[in-house]
Amino acid sequence: MVDMKNVNVHYSSGVDALVDVNLHINDGEFVFIVGESGAGKSTLMKLMMRELTPSSGRVFVNGRNLGTLKGNKIAMFRRSIGVVFQEFRLIQDYTVYENVAFALRVADSSSKTIRQRVPYVLNLVDLGPKAKHKVRDLSGGEQQRVAIARALANDPGLLIVDEPTGNLDPKRSYELVGLLKEINRCGTTVVMITHEHNLVRYFGGRIINIDKGSITFDEMIGGSDYYEG
Amino acid sequence: MRGNNVSYLVKKGVTSVWKNFVMSFASFSILLVSLLQVSITVLFILNANIIMNNIEDTNQVAVFVEDVDGETEDQHTKKVEHIRDALEGNSNLTDVQYVSKEEAAKKWANSMSGPSADLISMVPGGNPMPETFTARVTDVKAIRQTVSAIRGIEGVEQVNAPYDFADALVNIRKTFSVIVIAILAVLVIVSIVVISNTIRTSVFARRNEISIMKYVGATNGFIKLPFFVEGCFVGILAGLASWGLSCFVYNSVLSLFTDSITLWQMFGFFNLIPLEEIRFPLMFANCAVGALLGAAGTTISMNRYLKV
Repeated sequence: MVDMKNVNVHYSSGVDALVDVNLHINDGEFVFIVGESGAGKSTLMKLMMRELTPSSGRVFVNGRNLGTLKGNKIAMFRRSIGVVFQEFRLIQDYTVYENVAFALRVADSSSKTIRQRVPYVLNLVDLGPKAKHKVRDLSGGEQQRVAIARALANDPGLLIVDEPTGNLDPKRSYELVGLLKEINRCGTTVVMITHEHNLVRYFGGRIINIDKGSITFDEMIGGSDYYEG
Repeated sequence: MRGNNVSYLVKKGVTSVWKNFVMSFASFSILLVSLLQVSITVLFILNANIIMNNIEDTNQVAVFVEDVDGETEDQHTKKVEHIRDALEGNSNLTDVQYVSKEEAAKKWANSMSGPSADLISMVPGGNPMPETFTARVTDVKAIRQTVSAIRGIEGVEQVNAPYDFADALVNIRKTFSVIVIAILAVLVIVSIVVISNTIRTSVFARRNEISIMKYVGATNGFIKLPFFVEGCFVGILAGLASWGLSCFVYNSVLSLFTDSITLWQMFGFFNLIPLEEIRFPLMFANCAVGALLGAAGTTISMNRYLKV
């Protein structure tokens, strides 16, 4: 699903964001990527969604070598993954329905598919009743769920989630990761970037720690059954 | 792209005009002012050209027929016909008129007053007035070549041409052309700079929306289409408004010249283009240029935000 080989990212400012990263994520895994601010987590995410190309090394996602993608092939690739951003990145003027439908329109889906798929994913994130609400009228937690619904609209094999709990209270954060775990159980590979260690310890699973651009820890840990919110 | 998605994007483009009303209005206003300036300048140029042609049409040459002693009447008539045919066959001459010796004398007498009017009858040897042809020169730039060709016609004694007047007209036209091109160029350049800056500001305000579209996998064409439609729509609206105002201004100015015909006709202000003749071409030109500037300005300004 995701394969990185000897990846280095060197920014023009002189910063080495990633240093010789080797990473393999299998289909159906749920992976937490943790690390301090500036450790390289966001750079890793940008590589996986082809916002960046590595200074050296190769990145494969869904069998595609992202370094070779150009023009509309990048757009086609992005339709095959789902991305949820910390700051949601929703079109504020659109309704909840329109934001999700937009991802389907981009993928050139038919009107019938849009009419069937949008209510389905909105119900998955428990936002069916708010379909006609403008996004700007929703709470942070609800906006985050709209972003997840949009990411799921095209039924992606890989879901990349960047700091999804950054704007949520602890209770909502646990609920959100619970939702992502559910999505993962349905077969979607989930890569979640976070710096909230409590959440990671609670849910457990594969943890990858990045420090100063290098992977310093990559292990499976068991989850605990207590809520530390 | 599926039809339902194309119609969705077109609809989005049109509704965006109202959703982003302030920026759309700014683009509309700038396009309107630019189109109005260019439109009125072009109308002025078209009419100024007609006025110049009218003035040029007053440019006459006089061709004197050779008076040969002992020539029979039949020979003389043949010579006059030969000159008339040659003059009428010259593409740079129009309105060829024959003036006989008698007609010339009569004209001269009419232009005199009192006893002077009878002077010609007192000249020993009869009527001294020359037999001539007059003709208007179509292209004053070629007046010297034309006069030279006339001199080559058998039976022509002399040709009088207003070279100074012709040279002055040629110089005025040259200067006019340079000034007009300079004004139009400055107007077009300033318009493009102002329009592109205004549209760039409008697109900048929506850069977040554009980047979101890129992140969910929209192709550049998909993102550009609604912006293109929006730019076209604003451009056409500005074109229509500019057309309406141009027609109003043009009609008002035209009535100034047509209400007091005699005074302005002296200066060549006649045969000006009537509004009815240019109303629809002007509308088409304004809307087409407006749509082109709006659409091109928007889509070009977007390019930098598509590199995500």
